[in-house]
Amino acid sequence: MATTMIKSPTTIQQSLQVVHPLDDIAEEKRSPEGLGQMHMSPSVKLSLYALRGYLVLIGLMVAYRVLTLAGIFSHHLH
Amino acid sequence: MNTLESTPQEPLDPRNETQPVGITVRKPWQRNVLTFLLVVGPGLIVMAADNDAGAVSTYTQAGAQYGTHLLWLLILLLPTCYFIQEMVARLGIATGQGHAAMIYQRFGKWWGVFSLVDLLVLNFLTLVTEFAGVSLAASQMGLSPLLVVPLAALALMALVTTGSYRRWERITITLCLLNLTWLVLAFTSHPNGGEVLHNLVVPNIPGGGLTSGLIFTVIAIVGTTIAPWQLFFQQSTVADKKLRFADLKFARLDTFLGACLTITVAGCMMLIGDAAFRHHIPFSADTFDPATMAVSLGHIFGPWFKTGILLLMVDAAILGATAISLSSAYAYGEVRGWSHGLQKSVKDAPGFYGTYIACVALAAALVLVPRAPLQLIIVSVQVLAGVMLPSAIVFLQLLLNDRELLGAQFANKPWNNVVNWIIITVLFVLSLVLALQVITPTLFPK
Repeated sequence: MATTMIKSPTTIQQSLQVVHPLDDIAEEKRSPEGLGQMHMSPSVKLSLYALRGYLVLIGLMVAYRVLTLAGIFSHHLH
Repeated sequence: MNTLESTPQEPLDPRNETQPVGITVRKPWQRNVLTFLLVVGPGLIVMAADNDAGAVSTYTQAGAQYGTHLLWLLILLLPTCYFIQEMVARLGIATGQGHAAMIYQRFGKWWGVFSLVDLLVLNFLTLVTEFAGVSLAASQMGLSPLLVVPLAALALMALVTTGSYRRWERITITLCLLNLTWLVLAFTSHPNGGEVLHNLVVPNIPGGGLTSGLIFTVIAIVGTTIAPWQLFFQQSTVADKKLRFADLKFARLDTFLGACLTITVAGCMMLIGDAAFRHHIPFSADTFDPATMAVSLGHIFGPWFKTGILLLMVDAAILGATAISLSSAYAYGEVRGWSHGLQKSVKDAPGFYGTYIACVALAAALVLVPRAPLQLIIVSVQVLAGVMLPSAIVFLQLLLNDRELLGAQFANKPWNNVVNWIIITVLFVLSLVLALQVITPTLFPK
């Protein structure tokens, strides 16, 4: 908690206390424990697989291009 | 606790030693300012570290090649990087966990492994470019890279292994604030004010049209400004710092100010490149490096100008290296279930610190290997970052729509989704263009 009010019993003066997050009492977060995996519709799953396939393909092409530039496959260019 | 507002607690009893010790203020505005000062850090650091050695190279090259013509692109990137990083800050505050942990838990091991491997490979290559930046700057200052690179690696290890998140954050924020020196250098390079203002607000294509070089530069700028490691780093540091629900508005401000800083500094780097452009310093895209440009500009503006750029290059590389290595260490530690976090000692979190140290040591060693293909690694990093970014943001977008976990308070609003899908579409199109260019290098005119 960032701030906490301190009320003096004898006066109406109020103080606000600011606490560093690392010094504060831990709060209960939203935990995924017990929720299992996120529900994904078939179209979302398909899109993710397509994206993964695209990344693997492009990654391999980039690697081939870089290795070609490095001269590893230079004999193929001739 | 599920609310964003502070919930009244029992009044603090000063005699109770178990209650947190804070700073007492009297006015609400004092409380807000002080809370912001305590919360600021993850957003500022992730954005400042974004202007790493590769970014210095990309932005100065854009200026040296195209003058101020691409400044407008930075204005478009300001809201883009804010929207993306705000989402990870929100996710980190809501769950108290890092990004890699969330992907593993919500998408399963298969997707988790892919995301982690992508991140670790790209991070390591990026880390090599950071040490390449240190090596280049050291050489131009007349210092031996064989001495400076290991020293930089040792300094990076010492920076994180103190067992204090706060110490690491304070030192890193100081390094971030040194970035403001770029403004002084840009101002003293006497840019053309009218032209700068015009090119900031009017999107335009430099003379020569849509060439492969221009497309590559645009994609490199986008890939440099928004990188996958930033998502993992900021969420993990937000969780490590234990930011609270009530801190979200301050974390947003932290991220926004960081975005403003990074874009302003990026613009200054472009203006310094523009100085080389205006003074007709010979330019070659294949051999360009900012350290050599600094030497040429030193002949025009004085030796202090050269030294300033070279020192700022080292600062950029150190900032980038600590943030990138930490994002790898956090992600690997979260997935392996290791004890992790900068508040822990090396003894308490050996795997976390071991990953960090191994990344730094290996990257530094690779840079010192004679005839290592550094230029190829730098090019590969830019290409891979551009290609992988849309995929990383898709996972983020799905996580932020996980209402089962986040509830209505932290999940994306409809307008968030519209903005983010526009960003993802644009990034995906750019990634596709880049892929096409890699496959068919003659697709666009040279």
